[in-house]
Amino acid sequence: MDILGSFALLLAFLAAVYAVLAGIAGIITRRTLLTKSARNAGVAVFVLVTIAVGCLEYFFFTNDFSIVYVVEHSNRALPGFYKFAALWAGQEGSLLFWSWLLSIYAFLVLVLNRKRHPELMPYVGVVLAGVQTFFLTLNNFVATPFRVLAGPDGAGVMHLAKMSEGHGLTPLLQYPEMVIHPPMLYLGYTGFTVPFAFALAALLGRYPGEKWIHITRRWTMIAWCFQSIGILLGAHWAYAMLGWGGYWAWDPVENASLLPWITGTAFLHSVMMQEKRGMMKVWNVWLVFTTFMLCILGTMLTRSGVVSSVHAFAQSSIGSWFVGFLILTFVVCFAAYWKNRDYLRSDNQLDSLVSRESSFLFNNLILLAACFAVLWGTLFPVLSEWVQGSKISVGAPFFNKVNVPIALFLLLLTGVGPLLAWRKTSFDALKRNFAWPFSGGLLAGIIGFIWGFRDIYSLLCLILGVFVTLTIASEFFRGARVISSRDGTNFFTAMGELTMRNTRRYGGYVIHFGMVLVFIGIAGTPFNKDLQKEMAVGESLRIGPYTVLCQNFDHLDNANFESDRATLEVFKNGKSDMMLFPERRLFHASQVTETMVAIQSSPLRDLYVVYAGRSPETGKPVIHAYLLPLIKWIWFGGIVVVLGTGLALLPNRRTAVVLRPATDRSWADAIAESTPAIGAVARRVEGHD
Amino acid sequence: MTNMLNTRTTERAPQRSLCRQSRFSVSSVLKFSLRAVALATILAISAAQPARTQETPRGKALGKRVLCMCGGCEDSAGLCNHPGGTFSGPCETARGMQKDLDAHVTRGESDDQILQAMVEQYGPTVLVEPPKKGFDLLAWIMPIAVPLIALVLVWEVVRRWRHKATLAPAGGPQVNADFLARAQRESGREPGREHDE
Repeated sequence: MDILGSFALLLAFLAAVYAVLAGIAGIITRRTLLTKSARNAGVAVFVLVTIAVGCLEYFFFTNDFSIVYVVEHSNRALPGFYKFAALWAGQEGSLLFWSWLLSIYAFLVLVLNRKRHPELMPYVGVVLAGVQTFFLTLNNFVATPFRVLAGPDGAGVMHLAKMSEGHGLTPLLQYPEMVIHPPMLYLGYTGFTVPFAFALAALLGRYPGEKWIHITRRWTMIAWCFQSIGILLGAHWAYAMLGWGGYWAWDPVENASLLPWITGTAFLHSVMMQEKRGMMKVWNVWLVFTTFMLCILGTMLTRSGVVSSVHAFAQSSIGSWFVGFLILTFVVCFAAYWKNRDYLRSDNQLDSLVSRESSFLFNNLILLAACFAVLWGTLFPVLSEWVQGSKISVGAPFFNKVNVPIALFLLLLTGVGPLLAWRKTSFDALKRNFAWPFSGGLLAGIIGFIWGFRDIYSLLCLILGVFVTLTIASEFFRGARVISSRDGTNFFTAMGELTMRNTRRYGGYVIHFGMVLVFIGIAGTPFNKDLQKEMAVGESLRIGPYTVLCQNFDHLDNANFESDRATLEVFKNGKSDMMLFPERRLFHASQVTETMVAIQSSPLRDLYVVYAGRSPETGKPVIHAYLLPLIKWIWFGGIVVVLGTGLALLPNRRTAVVLRPATDRSWADAIAESTPAIGAVARRVEGHD
Repeated sequence: MTNMLNTRTTERAPQRSLCRQSRFSVSSVLKFSLRAVALATILAISAAQPARTQETPRGKALGKRVLCMCGGCEDSAGLCNHPGGTFSGPCETARGMQKDLDAHVTRGESDDQILQAMVEQYGPTVLVEPPKKGFDLLAWIMPIAVPLIALVLVWEVVRRWRHKATLAPAGGPQVNADFLARAQRESGREPGREHDE
């Protein structure tokens, strides 16, 4: 089987190289047969990499400890669920996993578009195969997952060896979310390759118009959605597993996953400028290029250990390969841009500073500022070592100080942007649209202040959160009212109808609302409390409205781990509320201890209890309790974001027609001049999007 | 919300609960007095070694500004937690560093002096944030400077766009009759179904 796996990987590499070369040859010679052959090679890569992945999983499930990767990341007692996840537990498997997901995307792109865009697809195929070739090079020649155990005998002759038991999977990964979090994040990272391939292809092939943006919008949103899920699941995993009462530590690997998400978000907004107004073409192309390069950088930071990180289970000196690939990607992108820059000329100009266009410009500026701040902080230790010869630390407080104001400004724009019309918004319209939401936000701020929101940033976050929510609600309300009064349907049916007629716009609003919930959840952080206490049976501790009474300590044992468990009864305002069972697990195979946090979650606050172990000083069991306000809003907001993305991906119920005049003036203005009554409606229609 | 994402305020409960005694028995009284003596001795020793068991508020704040130098975690000394270790709480290194900080505080040194002393002992990596001087000042300046430069650039781009727009011929809209008819026909639609594919 290991020979089959290795062979499949090698063939996949050759097929990918062939797909690149035949693809280029097909483009130059314009021979359809060559192009088709290149596409088929791309499909073959998918089949071959799938075989290799199947082989590796087969080794995990049959406990074949003659394979080094299986020995290092599995053991007999490991539950099947985690044996599957062991695929991405280490360097070699993770890179194979990357290759595999990329090959799936490439397969889907090539098959779904086999009869469409004949001018564009050959280029797309070449770019996808090129990226695939890089990863298959790593899989085959740098970090092969099918290395077998071998050792010399007395005479110095090498023999195959086999272990009877493996070292086990890192306990940090033995948590249900860890089976989902890495694939989601990887689907995000690899998914951004698709818009990258289309953007580069459109540029190289000088493909006319904004078609590449229409084709890739869904792909970008899918990748973005996976990336969002991956980031939030990672945060939730850290929260539920690491036992420090937090969910985001600005660890380099966390930052690495955030960077392409930020630029991807910027891209999803600025494409609208290109679609509606034919502006920012250069910017969009470079945003996609940057997003892809940040994905590669993110993979490199995770894999290479250039910057130290808690994700240390996947490190090696593979970094130079990634640096080489990044430089190559940049050179290709820049060359393509330079050669075809005239193709990216803007169609339109900006009419007013108070317009949707300028709000998108600011949105992009702020997102890029956040991206730069995170990237700068992450790489600064490396830069500092290079310049000064000594490493320094850039910890969480730095990132918080720099990014919190940026994030709040972004939240403000989330409320302001959608209410501005394209081209130009009058001051009266501004007043009309903002008066209510803004008053609502201020009122919420006053109530919040009285209620105890005494942290300036948290208070601002609350005010802006309510402001954004009200602007979104007013958008739904106004639209639904028009439909319900016209059709005579009830208000909620009208709201559904409204949403389904323009899923992209209203899905976008739902996503914004989800982000508001996430922000509110984060705003609870300054009010966290914690308390650590040595506790014997019968003793209790008080935190907030809760009293935690220690009822028992016991010891559990199974084939995979043994655990110390505390049984705690929680009283809320004097009444017995529930039982919590925080644990400490010692995994037999790896001899590593892991905390299993017990969480009592409610919308207002989480009671988060950690059995910290026995005090090194007194030997008594120590319970660490945290009171964490509003955390649940973050996870709930994440679900809303995903639902909103799903909504935005749905096709509109009826195809709408875009009216675009050939003149510089707005068509709405034109109509207004001739027929004022219709013009008012037309202006509103134009402004809405 | 300065330390928005990972701030943890700590209200430490007394580490040792005072013993519960059974009343009216000679042995318990004796035990109690012995324990009292022991406790007094411990307290006396603690007093002789200032801030051994009790953290000062300033010491605690400083603990969050220096990293735990055990090499096994990325936490600050004040918030050291050690996932995966045998005890999920401050490790020996972190506790030692916290004690040092408290000792410095009780000696009446300023925050800067204390942090300087920590840098001398452990090297520059001990500071959680880059210092705001020399080359490291760049860490702080760039996240502000780059967006500002970008803002100026965006402003310039916008100005040029608007300049071009004003240069465009101003002869009123050239709307042909077909387009106008179509627009009039379709502008009766309600919001929400216009645009997009």
